[in-house]
Amino acid sequence: MFRTLAGASTLALLMAGAAVAQDSHDHDHDHAHDQAHDGDVTLYRLFIGDHEAGRVTAIDLTDPEKRWSFETTGQTKLFPVAGGAVVAAVQSDDDAVHFFDSGISFEDHGDHADIEVTDPEAIEATLTGPRPFHLVSHDGKIAINYDRGGYAEVLDAAALARGEIAPQRFPQERAHHGFVAPMGRNWLSTVASDEEVAGDASVPRLGLQSFDAKGNATGDLATCTGIHGEAFSGAYLVAGCKEGVLTATAKGDGVEFEMLEYSDGLPQDVTTGTILGSNAIQMFLGNHGPDGLVVIDPVDEPHFTRIALPFRRVDFALDPVKPANAFVLTEDGSLHRINMMSAEIEQSARVTEPYSMDGHWNDARPRIAMAGDEVVVTDPNAGLVRRIGTADLSEIGMIEVEGTPYNIAVAGGSGVVH
Amino acid sequence: MIRNTLVALALGTVAAQAEPPQVVATFSIIGDMATQVGGARIALDVLVGPDADSHVYEPRPRDAMAVARADVVLTNGLEFEGFVDRLIAASGTDAAIITLSDSAEVLEDPAGGHYHYIGDEAIWHAGAHDPHTWQSVPNARAYVAAIADAFCEADAEGCEGYHANAASYTQDLDELDAQIRASVDALPSSRRTVVVAHNAFRYFEEEYGIRFLSPQGISTEAEASAADVAGLIREIRDTDARAIFAENISDTRLLDRIAAETGMALSGTLYSDALSGPDGPATDYLSMMRHNADTITSALAAD
Repeated sequence: MFRTLAGASTLALLMAGAAVAQDSHDHDHDHAHDQAHDGDVTLYRLFIGDHEAGRVTAIDLTDPEKRWSFETTGQTKLFPVAGGAVVAAVQSDDDAVHFFDSGISFEDHGDHADIEVTDPEAIEATLTGPRPFHLVSHDGKIAINYDRGGYAEVLDAAALARGEIAPQRFPQERAHHGFVAPMGRNWLSTVASDEEVAGDASVPRLGLQSFDAKGNATGDLATCTGIHGEAFSGAYLVAGCKEGVLTATAKGDGVEFEMLEYSDGLPQDVTTGTILGSNAIQMFLGNHGPDGLVVIDPVDEPHFTRIALPFRRVDFALDPVKPANAFVLTEDGSLHRINMMSAEIEQSARVTEPYSMDGHWNDARPRIAMAGDEVVVTDPNAGLVRRIGTADLSEIGMIEVEGTPYNIAVAGGSGVVH
Repeated sequence: MIRNTLVALALGTVAAQAEPPQVVATFSIIGDMATQVGGARIALDVLVGPDADSHVYEPRPRDAMAVARADVVLTNGLEFEGFVDRLIAASGTDAAIITLSDSAEVLEDPAGGHYHYIGDEAIWHAGAHDPHTWQSVPNARAYVAAIADAFCEADAEGCEGYHANAASYTQDLDELDAQIRASVDALPSSRRTVVVAHNAFRYFEEEYGIRFLSPQGISTEAEASAADVAGLIREIRDTDARAIFAENISDTRLLDRIAAETGMALSGTLYSDALSGPDGPATDYLSMMRHNADTITSALAAD
């Protein structure tokens, strides 16, 4: 469903008052203008979703007095999309998806990228539908699965970056907690069982299948029992299954699937359900049970290299600047830098108080994201975002955030202003 | 023969050397050149192998590990290997990164550059260059000299052998260059236009005088539009192009369509961006260039 909010003013509320708001707005433009004379500009802008309130706060990393607040319907999971030009705020419990123009956009010119910086703004148009959940952004398309709707909505990323939202509906046979993703000339969708389930019990998921844009099957179902978690890297999409990890890659006009089965050397009875894809090397990092990660190579053996963690995992992220590195936060409050090439923990440091993984999965616990040579860590109980240097895991600074900072996304990078 | 002897001499010195220089070549053609110069004295990893397309290759973890342990990384440059910068960054290597096209005579991308606009100001960004420099044998000679210099920098003890191997191989390249020129010169001047899948032969065209028409740009990543194809078919008719060739790294479906519409049959396969496998006709650079020249000139000479 598609609707337009009554007005941007209902969304954009500056936190520190009108005077500061005006200063902030003008200062931002002055700042960008000053930077234009310098040529090179590096700017990271944090988008932080509150755990309790329907609110997203945008903060410039190195100038945190520059901040903006946006109302949402409810708690958000945040995704940078359209090359970071837009941040999507998926509100699963409130049947809504909002979008924010990050105010930072790039134009690639091969040897450099031009950066354009403005204030972030809420995009007026929003999406609504029954329980939006997984968002897949790939190949210029953004697909949002509606777990209780039996369909996904697909947006064009370039149009979204221009503030245009014209979703195309991708129908599924049965509503389920799944995902839809583009793959070459086809679309991939998770497929649910047609067996009866009682009450709110989740619908069993059978695997992944290729379709055309209208939802007509173009290939056979590839079994991937309980399929969950998906990521792209290089030519591959991978997804976690009970049997192992399913790979999918475009081949000719179709899609080629392969099941990478968990090897005997791995701990049994644990699976992968959350996966991240490298932007530099064709490889993935997934969870493997609550206290392990696994580096996944979709082509060469060994396909799985496991990394045992000292405590249960809270959140993890890949470093786009140094792609061999990944960072994982464990429930003791330690941040670990992992070398994915050697599959070893290289360094660890305490960065927050402990956050136990006992309790509800959606309790307020830290989330991490990458911002250049920093890991930014929300610390909900302390009301902070902590800035941690990737080189030595030392704390560079803290940013106070109103409320209970929870999910976080980062837009930005380095570019040239002419 | 001389070259083989020198490689054997280089082999003899390996025993006295603590560890051979670890060399990574990004794709098969410069991998072969590295073998000709380094012989058995180097340990070589080639990332993109025979019949594989470097334009669209996605690097694997094992590639990053090879680059990480390398002393020398040989790349073509000119954005030919779209993956190489991120691979090098991911590997964290401190190897010498040698961009071989720095030593070559480079052609501009025919698409040129482009303007973009900031407010009312138009800003020119120079276009890419055509990366397929090795399709000119004089450029290959420059590559070989640059490889020898790079190996000498990494392994001074082996330098004499590297330069001797390079000198011997350069003689082979000189012979190859002369053979190609002679075979093209033997063609009637009206029979010098052919069609290929992607525009990888402009250096061959500039050096040897064969005109190549293609429906696709210089990268296989760019798909030809219907207008590109229609324009190409008109150009084929206007220029009396005499032969159409498949490429070992490109899909032939588009060429099949063009061949059907122009009444030409495919006249063979050219090797543009990668060598053939061991059973193919282009297992090394010399055989690749000979095969391409023979295939082109035979097709153009036929009635």
